[in-house]
Amino acid sequence: MSKIVVDGVSKRFRLQKDRAHSIKELITRRDRDVDADEFWALRDVSLEIPEGSMYALIGHNGSGKSTLLRCVAGIYRPTEGSVSVDGRISTLLELGAGFHPDLTGRENVYMNATILGMSKRQIDGLFDEIVEFAGVEEFIDSPVKIYSSGMYVRLGFSVAVHVDPEILIVDEVIAVGDEAFQRRCFSHLFDLRRNGVTIVVVTHGMGTVQSMCDGAAWLDHGQLVMVGDANEVATAYVQRVNQVEDEGATVTAPSEAGSADSVMLQEPGVHVTGVSFRDGSGAVTRSATFGEPFRIEMHYEVLGEAVRNPTFGCAIHSEGGVYLHGVNTAYKRVDTGMVSGTGVVAYEVDRMALAPGSYRLTLGTTDAHVQKIFDRWEDISLVVRPGAERAGDGLTDLGGHWNLTPDTTSAMPPQLSRSTGGGGGREGSSRWSA
Amino acid sequence: MSTPAEVWSYRTLIANLAQRDLKARYKKSFLGWTWSLINPAVTLGIYTVVFGVFLKGTAPVAGNGRLTSFALFLFCGLVLWNLVSGVINNSIASFLGAGQLLTRTYFPPEAPMVAGLTTVLIQGALELAILWGFMIVLGNVSWTFLISIPIMLLGACLAFGVGLVLGLGNVRFRDVGYLVGIGLQVAFYATPIVYRLDQVGELAQRVLVFNPLTAFVGGMRATVYELELPTTNEWLMMGGSATASLLIGWWVFGRYAPRVIEEL
Repeated sequence: MSKIVVDGVSKRFRLQKDRAHSIKELITRRDRDVDADEFWALRDVSLEIPEGSMYALIGHNGSGKSTLLRCVAGIYRPTEGSVSVDGRISTLLELGAGFHPDLTGRENVYMNATILGMSKRQIDGLFDEIVEFAGVEEFIDSPVKIYSSGMYVRLGFSVAVHVDPEILIVDEVIAVGDEAFQRRCFSHLFDLRRNGVTIVVVTHGMGTVQSMCDGAAWLDHGQLVMVGDANEVATAYVQRVNQVEDEGATVTAPSEAGSADSVMLQEPGVHVTGVSFRDGSGAVTRSATFGEPFRIEMHYEVLGEAVRNPTFGCAIHSEGGVYLHGVNTAYKRVDTGMVSGTGVVAYEVDRMALAPGSYRLTLGTTDAHVQKIFDRWEDISLVVRPGAERAGDGLTDLGGHWNLTPDTTSAMPPQLSRSTGGGGGREGSSRWSA
Repeated sequence: MSTPAEVWSYRTLIANLAQRDLKARYKKSFLGWTWSLINPAVTLGIYTVVFGVFLKGTAPVAGNGRLTSFALFLFCGLVLWNLVSGVINNSIASFLGAGQLLTRTYFPPEAPMVAGLTTVLIQGALELAILWGFMIVLGNVSWTFLISIPIMLLGACLAFGVGLVLGLGNVRFRDVGYLVGIGLQVAFYATPIVYRLDQVGELAQRVLVFNPLTAFVGGMRATVYELELPTTNEWLMMGGSATASLLIGWWVFGRYAPRVIEEL
């Protein structure tokens, strides 16, 4: 059964002359002769969103995702076509929309929840849960203007997901807040979905789409490009984005791959002069693709005398600062020999095991004993894009394989087993067998 | 267009919006709520001094046959005027204030307007109660006081219809805000508030009779000061103008508000 039916929806906006400068790009991109005062944000979009599913709208900025979301939410009326929605809608188009800075957190929770359609009694019952989820207990009676942006957003999200909607419409709001809160948001959305709530999200995180959504629609310039299984749509979208990005990357000079500041000590030794990334086919790229071969090339220049067996190394940190991987030629006992002049050192990876996301890359050169640092280049942005292979959760994917053996009679007893004793299985319940 | 029933189903929201406005209005001010009384009191004081003392304005004898007070005579009209101008100004501010919210979540755009109307009605009720209080203390009391309630409500309807249209217009053309300021000033002096209708020339009288506010102020003075009922003509003027204004305002707002919101 479809919860939301979008039937041939088109949405036209009239552009006012005095506002034209703010949407100048939209006008200049279009044919001015036709009708510069009109802009079609959506053109003949039809889709059905089944009950109890999580549905993603994807596309680049300005593709009409948010307009479609607002049409579904009833904020915009379609110029043509119709939207039929069966159920109570809660919208999360902007967190904390409607918060009044001078009022306290408590007052704003009540305010916000009534906007989303709750009665006072319902809010009374959920109030503690809302505040606890947001983690702002201490500040709930202070005006929200003293809140940090994180607290503001957490409280807004908490209200919106607790209103018990039948349909939840979420714009790209979850991209805010710290990692721990984001995880909680997603697990909460997941719970809602399990309870039969239909969820429509706009997102740029293809990992989210692939891991959480059932269906997806890809919009481009207001038109539907593809609609169907979330995984398929996301994969097709990622391929297109990668293709477009690579077309722009072929002319990149090696040093541009890492845009961060380099600490160049003009002392004798091996210096890093540039970095470039290459994909499996050897083409220059700006980012790695999960599951695909990847190569980091370090361009070096030796100042002064030739150096015997210098060490080249690289380290990768997550955006959150977690040290994920560090390796150098000394660990791996690579004999780099006498190095002089200029050259290129490459670190090759057969299968990019980092999950899609953003990382910080550090490159460095030292002497043979990793005692004297010649050069160090920090904070190079490394983006891993989703590839054809779907990554597991977490920061890396070990790339293991699943194997099922149904008949256990012939199998060895497990090394580590759970005791069946009365301890409830919490403490000291696991033992390694001898 | 949202039906009144649809708007009514959002009453919790309306109550909360009104409450939020009232709470936020006097937050961080030392005198808080007293400000809502200080303002009209000062206005009344100024007008009494300027028009009553300097310009020697006079008031007729009140309904009890003993009391003659220019200040209270003036206050009757002023209470009505404060309500009308308050509703118009508040409607404009309400739509502006709710605009951002309306682009982010769905609820009838009439809801914040009704909430704004509610806050002004509360203020109006307070001022009317004070007026009654003075009259009671001075012994000028009658059941006709109660008739001033529907008069105030009709006045609010008249102003609300105008406010709905101006609220929309203000978002589309910012000139409206300035024009409203001037328009209200003209309307204030084109209504016999600081003067009596029988004090102006015959021609002016004939013109001023067509100002619906003349009937409203007349009605207020009749019921609270002279302790009489408004004339049939006044009733017709008040009822007709309030109904027409509200119907037209509601229709225009319902029809054009969604489009204006999209362009915010």
